Amino acid sequence: MHPLALDGNWRVVAGVLLGIVFGFLLVKSRVAWRKTLIDQLFLKNTYFIKMFLVSVSVGSVLFFFFEKWGLVNPQFRPVYFWGAAIGGLLTAIGLALCGQVPVSTVASLASGRLYAIWVLAGMLLAVPVVRVVSDNLSDTLSKWSAPVDGETLQAVFSSDQTCFWVAGISIMIALFLEFIRTDSEETEKK
Amino acid sequence: MIAKFFTGKWSSYFSGTVIACFFILTLYILDSPTGMSNAYIMISDYCKESIHARAVQEPPFLDWQTGFLGGIFIGALIAAIFGGDWKLRMIPESSGKGMIASAGITVATGLAGGFLVMLGLQIAGDSFLGQWAGAIQLSTSSWVFFISLLIWGIIFTAIIAAKIAKSEIVEGKSDKDKKEK
Repeated sequence: MHPLALDGNWRVVAGVLLGIVFGFLLVKSRVAWRKTLIDQLFLKNTYFIKMFLVSVSVGSVLFFFFEKWGLVNPQFRPVYFWGAAIGGLLTAIGLALCGQVPVSTVASLASGRLYAIWVLAGMLLAVPVVRVVSDNLSDTLSKWSAPVDGETLQAVFSSDQTCFWVAGISIMIALFLEFIRTDSEETEKK
Repeated sequence: MIAKFFTGKWSSYFSGTVIACFFILTLYILDSPTGMSNAYIMISDYCKESIHARAVQEPPFLDWQTGFLGGIFIGALIAAIFGGDWKLRMIPESSGKGMIASAGITVATGLAGGFLVMLGLQIAGDSFLGQWAGAIQLSTSSWVFFISLLIWGIIFTAIIAAKIAKSEIVEGKSDKDKKEK
């Protein structure tokens, strides 16, 4: 068995259809709303982190078996440790200001939240700036030694069963967050 | 049941499970990293060329990532209309200030926030979606990215919240002083 790996026009069609499904998911899972991410950072509502942990828990186990059966291949971009750490810091500052990520900006715009156009403009402005500084960054960041070695957590912990540990710990944290539900979540549930 | 699927609110558990299945399905169908980083770069280049030439240029070649971006717009529109969430808003719902002040803050935070989010994601090497899909595949750098994002996000939000609270206290005090005078 092997991945479908569509190409040509079918790949574009698949991209559009998957986009439609994901756009629908973004609105239904509330990731499209600025409030969801802002409330998460303010620790007022843990909906996003619970959803993220559940997706990691289910997804990592599914990926483990699907990869074993040859249906999917590992597909992620190789990134430097310090690039990820500094990128996370900058994204966090931006997120605290605007409460949007690239996917949610598009979904917000489609849902009539026209203020997301400013976020989109800011994102498009950042791309040329990154090009200017990327050469310097790749020269410096790649030279810093990373405290962990290994592209995947399996390599870091030297165990094929890491996904089950990650899945178990993620679901336990999600259940713990459910247990200590905040006032805002209680009101929402009612 | 079907009507509730389209119009009701989804729990975090259901949403998380559906998103996980979506990522696996995408990997199976496309066999390439999930995300739309390239689409944003292409649109940015297209805008730059159009501004530089002072004329609308021929649209770029449609690849699957640009199609994915367009699909997200259509999917979100359908979900918002069916779920009754479509609302025309010029400023965020939670904005508590006056109309002009809110508009100014919305533009400034939108531009600065969007700029920093994209800068961070590009330095981290992938889009938010790509990092999420990477975390499911247990990519070390995706986990480093998300842990860094969560820790710094909470710290900066706390700083912003403290600033807002302080300015509200100062504003409240000055209003009280004016009334007393």
